[in-house]
Amino acid sequence: MTSADLALRNVRKSARDYAVYFMTLTFGICIFYVFNSLGSQQAVMDLSSAQSMTMRMLNSVVGSFSLFISVVLCFLIIYANGFLIKRRKKEFGVYLTLGMERERVSRILIWETVFMSLASLVAGLLLGIALAQGMAFVTASLLGVKISGFHFIFSAAAIGKTVVYFGLAFVLNLFFNVRQIGKQQLIDLIYAGRQNETSRAPRPLLAVLFFLLALILLGITYVMAAARLFDSALLLNFMLLVGAAGTFLFFFSLSGFLLAAVQRSKPYLRGLNMFVLRQLSSKINTTFVSMTIVCLMLFVSICALSSGLGMARGIAAELRGSAPYDATLILRAETEDGNERPVFAPGALDPALTRSGGADLTAFAAASRTAVFYDASDTGVVIEGPGGEKPALYLLGLTDYNAALAMQGAAPLVLGPDEYGVNFGSGSAGWDRALTKYCAGGGSLTLGGRDLRTRESLLRRQALEVSTRRNPDLVLVVPDELLAGRQAKKEILFINYSGSSLEYERLCLAALSEIKTASADGVELSGLIETKIQVNDYLGNTTVTIAYLAIYVGVVFLVASATVLAIGQLSEASDNTHRYRLLNKIGADERMLSRALFTQNLICFGAPLLLALAHSAVGIAVAGQITRKIAGIDISGTSAAAALVMTLIYGGYFLATYWSSRNMVVRG
Amino acid sequence: MILQAENLEKHYGGKNNLTKALNGVSFRVAAGEFLGVMGASGSGKTTLLNCVSTIDSVTSGRILIGGRDVTAMSGKTLARFRRETLGFIFQDFNLLDTLTGFENIALALTILRRPAQAIKGQVRDVAAVLGITDVLPKFPYQMSGGQRQRVAAARAIVTKPALVLADEPTGALDSQAARALLESFQELVRTRGATILMVTHDAFSASYCHRILFIRDGRVFRELARGNESRKVFFDQIIEVVSLLGGDGHDLR
Repeated sequence: MTSADLALRNVRKSARDYAVYFMTLTFGICIFYVFNSLGSQQAVMDLSSAQSMTMRMLNSVVGSFSLFISVVLCFLIIYANGFLIKRRKKEFGVYLTLGMERERVSRILIWETVFMSLASLVAGLLLGIALAQGMAFVTASLLGVKISGFHFIFSAAAIGKTVVYFGLAFVLNLFFNVRQIGKQQLIDLIYAGRQNETSRAPRPLLAVLFFLLALILLGITYVMAAARLFDSALLLNFMLLVGAAGTFLFFFSLSGFLLAAVQRSKPYLRGLNMFVLRQLSSKINTTFVSMTIVCLMLFVSICALSSGLGMARGIAAELRGSAPYDATLILRAETEDGNERPVFAPGALDPALTRSGGADLTAFAAASRTAVFYDASDTGVVIEGPGGEKPALYLLGLTDYNAALAMQGAAPLVLGPDEYGVNFGSGSAGWDRALTKYCAGGGSLTLGGRDLRTRESLLRRQALEVSTRRNPDLVLVVPDELLAGRQAKKEILFINYSGSSLEYERLCLAALSEIKTASADGVELSGLIETKIQVNDYLGNTTVTIAYLAIYVGVVFLVASATVLAIGQLSEASDNTHRYRLLNKIGADERMLSRALFTQNLICFGAPLLLALAHSAVGIAVAGQITRKIAGIDISGTSAAAALVMTLIYGGYFLATYWSSRNMVVRG
Repeated sequence: MILQAENLEKHYGGKNNLTKALNGVSFRVAAGEFLGVMGASGSGKTTLLNCVSTIDSVTSGRILIGGRDVTAMSGKTLARFRRETLGFIFQDFNLLDTLTGFENIALALTILRRPAQAIKGQVRDVAAVLGITDVLPKFPYQMSGGQRQRVAAARAIVTKPALVLADEPTGALDSQAARALLESFQELVRTRGATILMVTHDAFSASYCHRILFIRDGRVFRELARGNESRKVFFDQIIEVVSLLGGDGHDLR
């Protein structure tokens, strides 16, 4: 019998042991292929040039992330395989005792790995190719394009990349395998099953101290994060280091702490509780490292999924409200660095329009209108938003405001005598509360010797610019006559096209850039041109990229961590079969055994998840504050949804692990 | 009577190659009795023990333990019956290596859901009888073989079972440890009124019993009671019967 034959028989014989390894590999390969084949999906879609740029960008971002992901998957392969080898040490010992040379044993091992790798590669790629077909529809719907008819999507480049990356991982794995068997003494191989793990678990009192220290370290991290004490790279690194050390210590001392805490209490002497706790603490050597890794991976996964999907959804929401016109040209009395421009007379755009010569707006615009925003710094109005934010404040005449509203089809604002309106373009809930409170309070305003008041029904939430983000400017809408003699700060030209042709867009961009560069009274105007199509493309771009990256990173880390736990628990269950059988002999029934197994699995799966959730709650809260500030996006809603989806996947792994270990132990 | 076995039959295999591991075995064990079962390998003594301990089922016949017929019980009631009525001592100790001596003994009580506050005292009492109070806080790998087996005995006896089943308990012990263990068994019978059924093929171990059942070819071949004889005389009688047993007699000391 050749080594290859023997290897094939071994694979068949230990199919159950290999199943977890096989599934892990297949899944990793499948995900890897699907995301790396995204580029080939655009072939079947009818994309605009900006959209196909999105796909190219997505492809390159995913490509650069793939290196990182493949390192994670490679670690997973070696980890899963390590368990497999550990379980089969005795078998290899028997081969050696029977007089087989080490080279031959290594050869058998190499063949086994090659068979498994090939099988999982083929299975993973087939699964990936199938999944990629469905993925194309998801991409299409995210980009808002249609796929006509059925097209088979196949990416030779992605297959090549998958084969190369995983080929390398397999070779690396092979190297570890052969080394693990090669360096071992025969006696260690034969008695592999009987070796007691020398426990590195700390003594009970020490465990309690370590546990408290872990909580203190984690507390420091959380406080630092909440207080945003991570401005410098040094502080940030310090915070991450303390957090990681705290996590590590937490799992290192967890079982010892539980033991110390529970040992003197009554529940310890109830049913199989003490057996379960001792099981956990006896496995401390192998579990605390993997639990720490799993916890940190889950943290990455939760953050990636919730912030990523949250941002994507937030951006998609922006998409709807942020382009009330087909195009706007905004001129400001400030330069980018905040300096005042020397001259900016009201109606600056009008002379520019006349002077621009060739710019004929009627060629593409069904409607156009300008609105002038005036300085409000001397009104004494101070409105504080959530977190003490103070937005830019402008005054706008009622006529201009209602004309702007009419162009976006909104009902006009009607002011009574001595009244003014408030408009704020951002949809954040915190701001809404602050403004509602302000308006309800009347918010007295003295302008040109007249006292004006406002009320709640005069608060509007209309976007007045085409922009990639909600405009956070605060606008006070006042009667036109009160603005005479004020300094203009900003002027906006609103344009709606005569139709939806891309030709109008081209004409408009040409005309607006001509207007922008023309001079008004000898001062060169500089401004911002934004069109609805540009904004939509940009946002679509960002949405798809962020969402896909989030899913890619999040799912890989989630599955990787669940697999590490599942492998650990399953291999432990098979090591523990004799213990459970003994418990059965001395009278513990199936229900008690199942419950013990359940508790054991629950703690192993639950502890890292709970700590990761705590980490993420702090992380996401901080990230949420930052994204709200930068982009006005609220990610808390999707965070909850992402956590739910994640718990479902993770919970599925947990139940599958519990059921199969119960099959092994209780029914076996 | 604690145990009544009536006409036990246990058949293996099909029509053509029928093996009768038990072929009409009947015997009784009274409360407080220390009964030995001897026989060569393949005589059916392990099958007998497995059937009595409800781990295996009989083909026909009845086994009454404490007046209840175990052959008629279903799987769920069997587990309950096992933990409430029987105690087990195995050849290879079968202690849980992750638990201390105390916890190993207490486990038998916690499985029975005995109140936690009563457990400590019960474990201490039985440990004192068996002379293992010192090793209670130790883990099995820190104990000698004899200590381990006495911890196992304590685990079997701490629940005050109606019947303790011991399968070659001295098999893995040296002679001194074996003697100490057998003396503890006698002590348990005397002070706690335990009833012990011990399977062995060692004549020396058997000589500590009150009565011995010799099994050959699935039948009770002979029965020997110690009565008021000294252990030495009883031992010689046992050796005599063993030589009559023939077969694999040479592995009987």
